[in-house]
Amino acid sequence: MVIAEVRDLVKKYPSFELKKNSFSLESGRITGFIGRNGAGKTTTIKAMLNMIHPDGGEVRYFGLPFLGHEAEIKKRIGYSTGTVSWYPRKKIRDLVEIARRFYDTWDEEAYRSYLRLFEIDETKTPLELSEGMKVKVNLILALAHRAEVLILDEPTSGLDPFSRSELLGLFTELRDRGVTVFFSTHIITDIEKCADDILYISRGRIAAALPKAEFVRQYSRDGERLEDTMLRLETEEGGAAHD
Amino acid sequence: MTDLLRKEMRLSASVLSYLFIAFGLMFLLPGYPVLCGAFFVSLGLFQSFQLAREANDIVFSVLLPVAKRDIVRGKYAFVCLIEGCALLLMALAVLLRMTVFSQAEVYRMNQMMNANGFALGMAFVIFGLFNWIFVGGFFKTAVKFARPFVGFVIACFLTIFAAEALHHIPGLERLNAFGTDALGLQLILLGAGILLFLLMTLLSGRRACERFEKIDL
Repeated sequence: MVIAEVRDLVKKYPSFELKKNSFSLESGRITGFIGRNGAGKTTTIKAMLNMIHPDGGEVRYFGLPFLGHEAEIKKRIGYSTGTVSWYPRKKIRDLVEIARRFYDTWDEEAYRSYLRLFEIDETKTPLELSEGMKVKVNLILALAHRAEVLILDEPTSGLDPFSRSELLGLFTELRDRGVTVFFSTHIITDIEKCADDILYISRGRIAAALPKAEFVRQYSRDGERLEDTMLRLETEEGGAAHD
Repeated sequence: MTDLLRKEMRLSASVLSYLFIAFGLMFLLPGYPVLCGAFFVSLGLFQSFQLAREANDIVFSVLLPVAKRDIVRGKYAFVCLIEGCALLLMALAVLLRMTVFSQAEVYRMNQMMNANGFALGMAFVIFGLFNWIFVGGFFKTAVKFARPFVGFVIACFLTIFAAEALHHIPGLERLNAFGTDALGLQLILLGAGILLFLLMTLLSGRRACERFEKIDL
């Protein structure tokens, strides 16, 4: 079942453009959104969350257009755009105390268990946390209200290998519980470890949107690792992969 | 909206916004341009916008499960709440000066404007200008606020100057009425001030919602 759909998304900047991109996210699957720095991953995710105003196209969740149903849709999705970069001198506990009131589905028990899993001290302020810990706090906020879809912009950036492995394991666990996970990354091994589907963006254009096995079948040469395939595709002029 | 207002009060607001409400009591000062009290309250609110910008408050708000236009409404609600508290103090001071202190020499000998219904109406106008020029201007970009604030400061002091000068013009002496003198006129001027405040706030709020919807964060 399609749970999120992006249709003909266009965003034009003076030096960059998202080129009429379309893709969809299937329920209960992990989609890895991959592309090099500046390829358009964050712009796409921000457009999916109405943080930037697209020049064209539409984003739908649960069959509803995002515009006009923003509040109700946001309650059903969890999202994180990098690290916690807000209110550097407020305690995490105070930030959570405010945020939790916006969600009818806030799961205090899940919140506490993620705090323990990520070893977060909620009496600390963002200023006192490392970059990796800030990413984790942001993830906890996205995870603690029983979201049906998780949209995460580079959630593994800044995490140590152990935390990254735990997080990717968590994605798998959530997927098994029926949660749809969509995460961007430029770390190809993250995709290899847990993604079911690959969405590959190159120079503002979705160059491939396929199940991982199908992607490998279509684009990888014999004996080539996914990382080598991606590097080869990226260095070929204009990105060689097409739908 | 209650949750957003709570967020504004607990996370975004500068403590100065709350402390500067007390400047509403400047309406009790004799021999002083009492409308400067409204300016200082606005200055306290400006501190909250400054603090909120440095704390990436708008991005946090956008990530909450609310519509983008509700973020603008939350900011306006907070600003109006602070302004409302200051206006209550000002109204209290005006009531005291119109009743208990209506014959007090220290106020009667005052060369500056009297704190009466007209003055209170002008305080509403100054807050309306703040909402229109500064808050509305801020939401053009949700980042830049220097130009809107300078614009507000100029408009505010021109308004204070005009309000202070008007009763010195022959024929307009009744604007400076003491006690319950010219009560009808005072109430009409107060009502006009409230109306202007509402118009400036509502129109700028609506425009700010439209502009904020199109801003890239």
